[in-house]
Amino acid sequence: MSNAQLRFWGVRGSYAAPFSSHLGVGGNTSCVEIRAGDHLLICDAGTGIIPLGNELMQQDKIREMFVILTHYHWDHVCGLPFFVPAFSPDWKISFFGPGDSPTSIEENVSSQMQAPYFPVGTETWLAEINYLVQQSGGFQYGPIKIDFSNVHHPGITFGYRIQVNDKTIVYASDNECMFIEKSVKHRSDEFNEEELALFEEMIHEEHQSELNLFKDADILIHDAQYTPDDYEKKRGWGHSCYVDTINTAINANVKELYLFHHDPNYDDAAMEAIQKHSNEIIKEKGSSLVCHIAKEGMTIDL
Amino acid sequence: MGNTKPTVIGVDNSPSMKKLLERSTENLDIDLTMLASAEEALSYLQSNTPNLIILSIILPDKDGLSLLKELRQIPVHQKTQVIIVSSKDYNQDRMIAKDLGVLEFIAKPMSMQTITDVVVKYTQASLKSDSK
Repeated sequence: MSNAQLRFWGVRGSYAAPFSSHLGVGGNTSCVEIRAGDHLLICDAGTGIIPLGNELMQQDKIREMFVILTHYHWDHVCGLPFFVPAFSPDWKISFFGPGDSPTSIEENVSSQMQAPYFPVGTETWLAEINYLVQQSGGFQYGPIKIDFSNVHHPGITFGYRIQVNDKTIVYASDNECMFIEKSVKHRSDEFNEEELALFEEMIHEEHQSELNLFKDADILIHDAQYTPDDYEKKRGWGHSCYVDTINTAINANVKELYLFHHDPNYDDAAMEAIQKHSNEIIKEKGSSLVCHIAKEGMTIDL
Repeated sequence: MGNTKPTVIGVDNSPSMKKLLERSTENLDIDLTMLASAEEALSYLQSNTPNLIILSIILPDKDGLSLLKELRQIPVHQKTQVIIVSSKDYNQDRMIAKDLGVLEFIAKPMSMQTITDVVVKYTQASLKSDSK
């Protein structure tokens, strides 16, 4: 076992799904822990951060962490009001996420903890809290290198490219793959030949830019919220169909894909069907991609 | 004053969008300048006040909405005319854009005529004499 591990604490999108039919995959919303030695990086703060916080309170080796947020939709921050280390004086927590200044990141993190939505605010946090300003070269947190870029999701949303022990992990919890391609296809009869040719170039450029974030990743953790049928009804909601996620991962030469941000309506049987279909797609394409359903508690040695 | 051409700035790193803006406005008597990043745009706009900015949201170094928020802090750009042209077509982005005083939010794909029309609408650009 190496000195670095990744653990899924929450894998659902939209809202927590603590239903007995769903617990094989897990019911908590987005939270992924990456630990390298004593350095603790937490990707998103959905309800999965609550059990992570409780576990952290049981040890005394680590007292510092870096929390990176993809964006501030509630399924990505709603664990923070119940994150015990934040309320404990001997902890140091740094936050980073979309926002043009540390103050705006602080406002985005704090605004859910206000009356009438919540009885206590972040001013009751006793930990040393820092909100970090954007750096063009990304962040170096101990042995962990973190870069970010904008992805396709409502509001400003980041995808993160993280390097640990020569492994590249990409965390893109919320990203609607191939959006412009689908928009053009949907409305192709409105345009002339010259415009359609320009849109083909645009599709290629956007696809390349998406691939740049995912390229050659050892591990890609990516939005795969919908089945093809549900995606048809929810196109433009900011989430991917798992088929598009798989195709994008193959094009980006990803080694292992973890389908993530599962729809809370999908029970364990539905998720098993997605796994089966994913394997068929990969086999048909003759790809070496390994595809997993991200499940709560799953741990990967890095 | 009457002889000054309207200036239009496109902030987008997409070569195809550059082509589309150039083709859409080639018959208009305007000065079109393309800038490929938020940094380039901010640097240019420190000393220039265009008649219209056509802004993308996903830029290589910063999102266009954060760039616009920063721009609005500069007194001369508090009311600079801005339209968004983006492949991101989400209501949340439209609301942020509206709060930042964006005049129109155009989702890609759009016809070249749509671009021509908004440029004329907001700059009162006339046709080039050889296009009349």
